[in-house]
Amino acid sequence: MAREKLTTLYLGPQHPGITGNMMVRLKLKGDTIVSARTEVGYLHRGFEKLQEKRNWLQSFTLLCRFCVPEPDPVEEAYALAVENLEGREVPERAKYIRVLVLEMARIASYLLWYGGQSGSAGLYTVGQWSVGDRNYILDLFEDLTGGRVYHMFIWPGGVRRDLPKGFKDKAMKVMDYLEKRLDDYDTLLFDNAIFQKRAKGVGVINKEKAVEWGVVGPPLRGCGIKSDIRIDDPYEIYGELYEKGVFDVPAIEGGDVWARALVRRFEIRQSIKIIRYVLDNIPSGEFYNKIPNPHKWRLPKGDAYSRVEASRGEIGFFVASDGSIYPRRTHMRGAAYVHAVTLLENILVGENVADVSFIMNSLGTCPPEIER
Amino acid sequence: MEEKKLQIIERLQKAFPEIKNTKIDYDYNRVDIVIAKEKIPAILFYLKDQMKFIHLVHITCVDWIEENKFELIFIVWSPEKKIKVFVKTFLDRNNPVMENIDMIWRQANTYERELKEMFGIEFEGLVAPKEFILEDWEDIPPMRKDFDTEAYAKKRFFERPGREDARDVRQTIAERTGEEIPEFAKKYSR
Repeated sequence: MAREKLTTLYLGPQHPGITGNMMVRLKLKGDTIVSARTEVGYLHRGFEKLQEKRNWLQSFTLLCRFCVPEPDPVEEAYALAVENLEGREVPERAKYIRVLVLEMARIASYLLWYGGQSGSAGLYTVGQWSVGDRNYILDLFEDLTGGRVYHMFIWPGGVRRDLPKGFKDKAMKVMDYLEKRLDDYDTLLFDNAIFQKRAKGVGVINKEKAVEWGVVGPPLRGCGIKSDIRIDDPYEIYGELYEKGVFDVPAIEGGDVWARALVRRFEIRQSIKIIRYVLDNIPSGEFYNKIPNPHKWRLPKGDAYSRVEASRGEIGFFVASDGSIYPRRTHMRGAAYVHAVTLLENILVGENVADVSFIMNSLGTCPPEIER
Repeated sequence: MEEKKLQIIERLQKAFPEIKNTKIDYDYNRVDIVIAKEKIPAILFYLKDQMKFIHLVHITCVDWIEENKFELIFIVWSPEKKIKVFVKTFLDRNNPVMENIDMIWRQANTYERELKEMFGIEFEGLVAPKEFILEDWEDIPPMRKDFDTEAYAKKRFFERPGREDARDVRQTIAERTGEEIPEFAKKYSR
């Protein structure tokens, strides 16, 4: 038998289907993928080294750049780690505001994902709608934090500002609007035969091996495993909310792109529920437990690791202190660090070359998390 | 939770009498153990296979340059027990060699590639392409504490001429090309 020649295809870093600046080097037989290799290095900015030269508070200008579409969970993870290291308490009201911000960020991120996922299937209308709707959330962020995309709002000891006047009414209106709007997305995207045919049975993750392989977040819940840091290793008030039945964590069998898309579809509704509950039940009181002068703020020697559930999955922050005003070491674990390298390289084998960006979007790949 | 944590430590100490330090009071669901580097693959495999710590959360390294040591930290999580175990070991900074563990968790491969590049830790038997994040790097590994970022930047890059006087850029351009500075921009020019 004559040896068949394999084609090498470099997908990215400048490719509309790739979710950011990274490259997947594919070996193709016809249009079937024989092997895939993730190549990163186009986006390395040395944030972790820069943080070592900044005090504990100055890092926040860098933190929100770790993942641009959803910066708040990174801030939350870092703030939690610093609080954990110091043993600092956070006021109850601040915890509620943090949850509000995190859930708003989750919705905004999922709405952006709608655009990416449908755009890679050729359905561009969904993206135009969802990015428009995301703007209403960004307006809320602007009211609350002063910034639309980068907020630097959650910091050690609480949050930066209290809720502005009239925020509750405005946020409730946006939630009502979004809830109605989500049905339109169902008609446009989930009932669409093109999307269903492309998504079902594509990019399947093995359920038995999923946890072992480091799959987290929506891809893991898309394998039918009910796993979420918000309920497994609860932070802020999530444990309490889950016990009260305010929200649930959807888990859908399948492990393919379709299951992962459905998980996200249900999660937006859960996030809306949480936001409504928080706005209705927020306690009064302080929103910030004042930290000392940051230029003289020394943390005890030791290390801490905290993790939060972002829209892409588990995000963790490791900080080590040597007792000085600067961190000795910070290290972030993003969901994409595992998803876009070892997992993607494995599940791409045997798939069609046209589905690469489709699968990458369904995993929630975010290259800045990989190289930071 | 306290009991659960003590049980874990007891069981681990029974299987690995070499365990040096243990600590349980860092966080409500965190257990710390320190062990010699030769035992790392064995204890991680034991944790995964026998005690159901199936999720590898993180691998990281801290440079304690004053003590001439690298502290290597493996964090594993058990979804059943809801406890995370920090397995720590210390490597000699002059000769940081470690056995690789990507046959236990294959995603460890990515972490090891990064640690090799950023700290110069040699993982024996690691199969991976030469470069991960950095390209054509010839200096000492950049995340080490003795790497001087400023000196490297000065050696590697040059300052763009025309900017050293911190003057308004429009004025410089106007002088070079003979163009006039527009009226609206004059008040900003120094």
